[in-house]
Amino acid sequence: MTPELLLGLYRQVCRIRYFEVAVERLIHEGKVRGLVHVSIGHEAVAAGVCAAMAPQDYLLTGHRGHGHVLARGADLYRTVAEILGRAAGLCGGRGGSMHLVATEKGIIGATGIVGGNLPLALGAAYTSLVLRTGGAAVAFFGDGAVGNGAFHESLNLAALWRLPVLFVCENNEVAEFTRREEHTRVARLVDLARVYGMSAERVAEGADAVAVYEAARLALELVRGGGGPYFLEVTVRRLRGHYVGDVRATRRGALEEREIEKWDPVLRTRRRLEDEGMRKDELDVVMAEAEREVEEAVERALASKEASAVNVEAEVYA
Amino acid sequence: MDADDALRLLRSMLRIRRFEERLIQLHREGLFPGHYHVYIGQEATALAVCSALTHGDLIFSTWRNHGHLLARGADPKRMMAEILGRAGGYCGGKAGTLHLAAKELGIPATSALVGGNIPLAVGAALGLKYRRTGGIVVAFFGDGALEEGAFYEGILLAALWKVPTLLVCENNSVPPHLRAPGQYPSSVHPARQLVDVPSSFSIAAEVVDGTDLEELMPFMEKQVRAVRGGEPRFVEVRTTRWPGSVPLWPELVGGETELGWAFGERPASEEYAEWVEQSDPVIRFLRRSSEKGLVTREQAETVDREVRSEIEEAVQFALASPFPEADAAFAGVFARGC
Amino acid sequence: MKVRAVEALARAIYEAMERNAEIILLGDGFGGLSPVAREAFRPVWDKFGDRVMTVSISELGLAGAGTGAALAGCRPLVDLSTGSFIFQAWPQVVNEAPNFYYMTGGQSCVPVTFYSLAGIRGAGAAQHSHATHGMLGNVPGLRVLVPATAQDFYDLMMWCLLESQDPSVFLSHALLLLEEGELQTDVWNPPGRAAVLREGMDVTLVGMSVTVLRCLKAAEMLRERGVSAEVVNLRSVVPLDVETLLGSARRTGRVVIADECHRTFGAGAEIAATIAEKAWRELKAPPVRVATADVPIPFSPPLEERVIVTAERVVEAALELCEGRRS
Repeated sequence: MTPELLLGLYRQVCRIRYFEVAVERLIHEGKVRGLVHVSIGHEAVAAGVCAAMAPQDYLLTGHRGHGHVLARGADLYRTVAEILGRAAGLCGGRGGSMHLVATEKGIIGATGIVGGNLPLALGAAYTSLVLRTGGAAVAFFGDGAVGNGAFHESLNLAALWRLPVLFVCENNEVAEFTRREEHTRVARLVDLARVYGMSAERVAEGADAVAVYEAARLALELVRGGGGPYFLEVTVRRLRGHYVGDVRATRRGALEEREIEKWDPVLRTRRRLEDEGMRKDELDVVMAEAEREVEEAVERALASKEASAVNVEAEVYA
Repeated sequence: MDADDALRLLRSMLRIRRFEERLIQLHREGLFPGHYHVYIGQEATALAVCSALTHGDLIFSTWRNHGHLLARGADPKRMMAEILGRAGGYCGGKAGTLHLAAKELGIPATSALVGGNIPLAVGAALGLKYRRTGGIVVAFFGDGALEEGAFYEGILLAALWKVPTLLVCENNSVPPHLRAPGQYPSSVHPARQLVDVPSSFSIAAEVVDGTDLEELMPFMEKQVRAVRGGEPRFVEVRTTRWPGSVPLWPELVGGETELGWAFGERPASEEYAEWVEQSDPVIRFLRRSSEKGLVTREQAETVDREVRSEIEEAVQFALASPFPEADAAFAGVFARGC
Repeated sequence: MKVRAVEALARAIYEAMERNAEIILLGDGFGGLSPVAREAFRPVWDKFGDRVMTVSISELGLAGAGTGAALAGCRPLVDLSTGSFIFQAWPQVVNEAPNFYYMTGGQSCVPVTFYSLAGIRGAGAAQHSHATHGMLGNVPGLRVLVPATAQDFYDLMMWCLLESQDPSVFLSHALLLLEEGELQTDVWNPPGRAAVLREGMDVTLVGMSVTVLRCLKAAEMLRERGVSAEVVNLRSVVPLDVETLLGSARRTGRVVIADECHRTFGAGAEIAATIAEKAWRELKAPPVRVATADVPIPFSPPLEERVIVTAERVVEAALELCEGRRS
């Protein structure tokens, strides 16, 4: 792992953090409408997995997708513009927070339906096989999706057809508002995946982007090499409520001080990088650059024009 | 098991067998339309489960329901009439074979969607548990149901709510190690064993041979007891699919069942003989009961004659039953107007 | 007393559960997430917590479980959450529950109520904004309730939980829950009876769910233009109060139907066809629909505003009818 790669991981974690904090601020200022789900606490998963992805891989995400999309290289300015509903947004303002798509980066689908992206990933993976691109399809979802029939059917079919799919389950132990012990009797998610005959691993410290990267790289090598689908469970902690404004978080999601060190990806990843020999001042520079990048993009997006309703009825059909 | 038991059980299984064989003949004669499915080869499962149930228990079956209904005590006349779409049927001709239901027998509704009955059964078990009736709910389904999201969501809820549901998976597919690519019908599931799926939800799951009634009876009694104690359970009952159920439409590929096959005679077709030998629960039970001195050939043939006569009565009843008035199609959409 | 719709809803659920021990709740998201809702529902959780089941994100499983529990003698209220998620439960809601009474030849009733927070809530984007009453109205055996006022929320939920013997979909709406209205609890108005909220002579405005509010606003705006508008609140799509609709149509001779379904093949189409078929002699113009445009709902506010049913668009349609101009 080169210094560039390591610094790059930290940069992504910081970018996502600053981005999400800015989004929260915009919501409180009334500039963003609708329900938004931020990835604070999940940054290292996006950073680690996306760093292991190849250009020909596909990415399918869900309602908590800002981090994935940014880490995969979507234009940051156009992403925040989309969340603001501006014409310059990735989807011209039509999608919003839950539907961030950038097909040139292989981000082909973002669905607001829990579990809805999993069957889509199967199709993308199948296309890779047919077109022989050597690509994989990476699907991000939360532990809440485990309750859904689509999850089960997708694992089933991916295993049957030996599709190059990497299932990344970000297990923050809370599904919408219900704690996992309450909503399922599944003992361990990796055990469930293994029932379908696929390789499965668990990353216990999902706030460490380096650990996530290493696991993802191994997984994707196997997947691309024809080893069939792979299930990666990454344990994280949500550092906020389910959506911005979810006050239940103060009861359920808040962490003790000592746990923050372990579960805050900005802190945890930084600590890991320092262990790997990166210098403090280098890391500080990266962090400052990330902050500036986000500030500039947000300012620019706020100044950009609103989406126009003139052709709102166009482009329903291709 | 004594001689009386053995004859009683034989009668029950023969009733299912002869009902289904007669149905195939009726269909050949064009006496009822639509697709249908027979329970030949699986009789022991329905009988073993239903024998362990009591009055307040419920059953949610599927399109392959004739055996379950008969084992539960359904009147062959009203069943036959329903399959033929007549007014005298259990559902007034509105269900046909696919949705045969008899609320008075604890079979309140029958879904024909793959996997559809599992959430229904789980919810019904929740209802019985909530109302403290002491009843349990049995869901019968095939191996194909494990491919559906509905199955999965159903067992997740069953485990979450700890409800008294007995999930009976009747695996009659071509077993994986014998399957050729594209072969129908066969289970399409990557799990090494189907029982791995419910097990991963902490639902106790076991495999059992579906061809041996004597083994099945105490086994199902044990399962029903456990479920009545409050926990959901899953059983995979393995049978080898009856050769007549392999083509898209059922066929009497080996002709009608001959009781003589339990007494040394063999079917004309060698392939069919092998199935009878290894997988026919009726013939196997008869042979073993006779070997144990519980049933003589004469007694068996007498019971068979009586059963055939019962089925014939059912056919006559059904044929004599009028079709419902066409306007009845518009009635019974809502239970209560407002 | 003046209450918010969510308070009326909570009250109905509480009172019904008090009266009938067979009512159970699968899920606890009824009424939404506002502080008002939490406060309103607190008595329900406090008193009936043991009759509330914790649920996973398994809409199909839950809808089926609710149907099964109904078959076993309970009267469940199933929370299917955001309106568009009913599609996850679709097989059970449209192909199982409503068929059973009929296809068992009348043996088995299925008194299950599916609660769904339908409609365009604002910035919900394409996958969270469906108004499903048109699609659901096309399913024989299913009742479809579209409350608009606080009184509607109370009446219709009481009816579902205590009286109904059939599967019902109770279509709540995020933009209605905090609206205030008068509530009396002595007499319930069952479904199948539309309410004429405002009498008028020149044009009938037919509303359902949230469009009722927009019709009322439109009626005020029309009054300033010298047009007297009658506002009919359907309250239920199935059963549809055809009598009240025809009565009003015959009196005014002009009808504008405000429907949050997409225009093509929406509920408005059924209402327009029925009025045209049965009251054509008394009509001065064909019935007109103001509905959501036939596009997936876009996220950005100016885009969304362009495609929805607004009071202004209802006014425009009414004026065209009254002034004899059709574009």
